[in-house]
Amino acid sequence: MVKIAVENLYFRYPEAAGFALRNVSFRIEEGESVAILGENGAGKTTLAKNLNGLLKPTEGSVKIDGVDTRSLSVAKIARKIGFVNHNPEHQFFAEKVEDEIRFGLRNFGFPEETIDKIIQEVLSVFGLEEYRGKNPFQLSGGEKKRLAIASIMAWRPEALIVDEPTIGMDYAQKMNIRRVLRRIVSEGRCVIVITHDVDFAATICERAIILSRGEVIGDGRLRELLSDDELVEKASLRKPFIIELEEETGLTGLEEDFDILSSILMEVFQKCRS
Amino acid sequence: MSFLRAFKYRRKDTVVHRLDPRSKFLLSVVLMMVSIMFADIRVLLVLISGQLILLFLAKSLGEWFSSLRGLVFFFAVIFITQLLFGGTFYTGIVLSLRLVALSSSMSWFFLSSTPEDIGRAMSVAGLPIELTFSFTMAIRFIPVIYDEFQSIYDTQRSRGLELEKGGFRDRIRNLMPILIPLLVGTIRRTYEIADAMEVRAFGASPKRTTYKPLKLKSGDYIVCIASAILVVSALALKMVYGVE
Repeated sequence: MVKIAVENLYFRYPEAAGFALRNVSFRIEEGESVAILGENGAGKTTLAKNLNGLLKPTEGSVKIDGVDTRSLSVAKIARKIGFVNHNPEHQFFAEKVEDEIRFGLRNFGFPEETIDKIIQEVLSVFGLEEYRGKNPFQLSGGEKKRLAIASIMAWRPEALIVDEPTIGMDYAQKMNIRRVLRRIVSEGRCVIVITHDVDFAATICERAIILSRGEVIGDGRLRELLSDDELVEKASLRKPFIIELEEETGLTGLEEDFDILSSILMEVFQKCRS
Repeated sequence: MSFLRAFKYRRKDTVVHRLDPRSKFLLSVVLMMVSIMFADIRVLLVLISGQLILLFLAKSLGEWFSSLRGLVFFFAVIFITQLLFGGTFYTGIVLSLRLVALSSSMSWFFLSSTPEDIGRAMSVAGLPIELTFSFTMAIRFIPVIYDEFQSIYDTQRSRGLELEKGGFRDRIRNLMPILIPLLVGTIRRTYEIADAMEVRAFGASPKRTTYKPLKLKSGDYIVCIASAILVVSALALKMVYGVE
């Protein structure tokens, strides 16, 4: 079933001379994992904000479950489509981690007696139990990102849009976020990752939508799109490491064993260095 | 926050943009003083009309009009407080017009002067560098803070926050999830900038030089004379003709 339908979307910021998005059309089905890729300034975040109703199309339409976003409030859309900002600190204001999760649940009118139960469950799923009473601003970068995703996933939206999930993160933190997102995908929820980190996207998403200067220049299976040298160059991206490795070695299905593979490679690199 | 757009410098090639920041600042201060001096609707309307001409010459009328939308909240506060505390509808109009006149007095100046130009003008006037630098930094960061505010606002709306929901007290309480991250971010940035400046030896040399000295031209003298005429006319209107 179609969750999000974008048809001939054009978007222009107030005061801007040109369109930030031009003639963008695609459909995202329930349970799909989609990477929106593109260089800086390609229009990825603008597209994401159109998908969750923060921005309304200048021309064309964005429909959530068949309803035009123009006729829905941001809060109504947010109940179905969660959005995680690239900077988690832009959402923190509570004194404790648990209160940060409580905020969205209260806004959406969850009964108080179930809120505590949900918080406990979410903290456990996202590995944040030990930080329950800690100030969100005192968490590490990776923990902040996990808390940001946790505080959205608490009300169980049907789809999740994550803007630049790996920005400024080290390897271990990226792996944690990857596990969290893969878990959400495995629950049958739709995950849309906005990034230019192709290695990260390749291990989570089946499908990619590639943007360049506000236009869709590629939409299809991520592996196929990112194997196309011409397209990759046009979008100022690069081939994911995993695809390059498969091409070099002739092996296939390496992303299935990505965790094992990456730990082996880390070991090899460390040995080479020493 | 959209009213802040009226204070963001826009690079344009106009007569007003080419003026020396000192002469523009003088006229801006005079316009502000006159706005405060009078409570007569006619005078305030004439003053606003004059400022509209300046904004037209600076090709910045669009920015000014869009910023007026942001002032609507303040107009509402003015009218409500007037009606609550024994004022009249007339005083509400006067105060609102004064607010427009005051904000316009600063608006055309900031729209047409770069923060660097303003800093240079303050340095030439003999103000300490710590003060001028803080001032120019504050101006330069207005758009940055505005963008951050917008991002935080969007993020909290995506978590179900509805600012327009509830009574007056609820609406004020609803601002907290926006103001706290904004404040924390601003304070953090302040420390980062202070560190970045220190590692580049800010304040190490007591004597500073400028690579782009300011020079008054004929247009600037005209602005200075116009400012003087405006002061004399305002005083005459007030003292001789007794205009309120």
